[in-house]
Amino acid sequence: MAKFVGAFGASHGPLIAREWESMPEAPKKRLGKAFRELGRRLSAVRPDVLIEVSPDHWVNFFINNLPSVCIGVGEQHDGPPEPFLKDFARSLPGHPGLAMHIVTTALANDFEPSISHHLTLDHGFCIPLLRMELPQLPQIIPMVINDLEPPMPSIRRCLAWGRLLARAIASYPENLRVAILATGGLSHSIGEPTMGDIDEPFDRACIAAFTTGDDASVIDALEAGLKTTGNGGHEVRNWVVAHGAAGSRGFDLVDYFPVPEVYVGCAFAAWTVPDAVKAAA
Amino acid sequence: MTDYWLSKLFFDLQDKTAAAEYRSERSKVLDRYPLLPEIRAAVLANDIAVLAPRVNAYLLRYYFQVVGMPDAEFIGRVRALKPAAQASATKRANG
Repeated sequence: MAKFVGAFGASHGPLIAREWESMPEAPKKRLGKAFRELGRRLSAVRPDVLIEVSPDHWVNFFINNLPSVCIGVGEQHDGPPEPFLKDFARSLPGHPGLAMHIVTTALANDFEPSISHHLTLDHGFCIPLLRMELPQLPQIIPMVINDLEPPMPSIRRCLAWGRLLARAIASYPENLRVAILATGGLSHSIGEPTMGDIDEPFDRACIAAFTTGDDASVIDALEAGLKTTGNGGHEVRNWVVAHGAAGSRGFDLVDYFPVPEVYVGCAFAAWTVPDAVKAAA
Repeated sequence: MTDYWLSKLFFDLQDKTAAAEYRSERSKVLDRYPLLPEIRAAVLANDIAVLAPRVNAYLLRYYFQVVGMPDAEFIGRVRALKPAAQASATKRANG
């Protein structure tokens, strides 16, 4: 049977790639260290498959057809279209078997995801993979959450999706090691009058909620905070999926610091997943 | 209120060929989109205050990158939007 071996979260942002060479040394060094530490922890649990939870930044979907949740079931996914990531990967391997099992498990449990047999994975998916400097990319199952255009899935629903992912992994018959990586957040503001602001109180509230692990705290803190923070903060939904999958047992914050150079409150974390601890020992 | 065709224009201009055509023949490209006259005028005038409440904020940013506005100028202009526009944008972002 497949085994759920770890859940992780990392911020992303185009400038973490586009402006990397010109970034001041201090934030660049700290960001690089945090990404590499997360990469080390991810590599330590030896995943065969990585379920990546990220938004689509208007690459695959538009408002004429905008899924709340889409699972990528293809054998391959196209690499990032952004010119500043052209050297990363032209394509990334998928895992259609587990991906379709997640979809059928979802449908059997009254969840209705969209599916795609061919997704393009933009910077949200690829910047963490790039900066974590993984020795080898696992097979990727993309899970796209609509974090960009209202209305968006509720925090409660994202938690439920996480639980569903854990059940789907545990019921997949192939002997696979499966990890989850949530990308995006924490606070940032793009293309709106608060652009450039980083909402550190919101970020600290998210971190506190994930640390305690209590579902009610996570739902209350995030639903309240998302009403006033910048639009990029909505990507914390992806973290909620990982939190739910890991069983809401709290997480280990690898690092958090506001990075005005990339407009993002950048956070990096690994959730407590008992099997993962055993596997890495 | 979301303006579908304005959004579609901004979305389509993410394609580099379309963006190059737009930069060289803006009116010709705009003719393909049934924009209201006041919206078309706002596009031609780079009037962020008119455009912002009608399109997703990420698409707005992409668009002004396509037309070559430096990030610092875009941020300055979007931050200078009057409170009414800010309230509208916040409402959109938070559903």
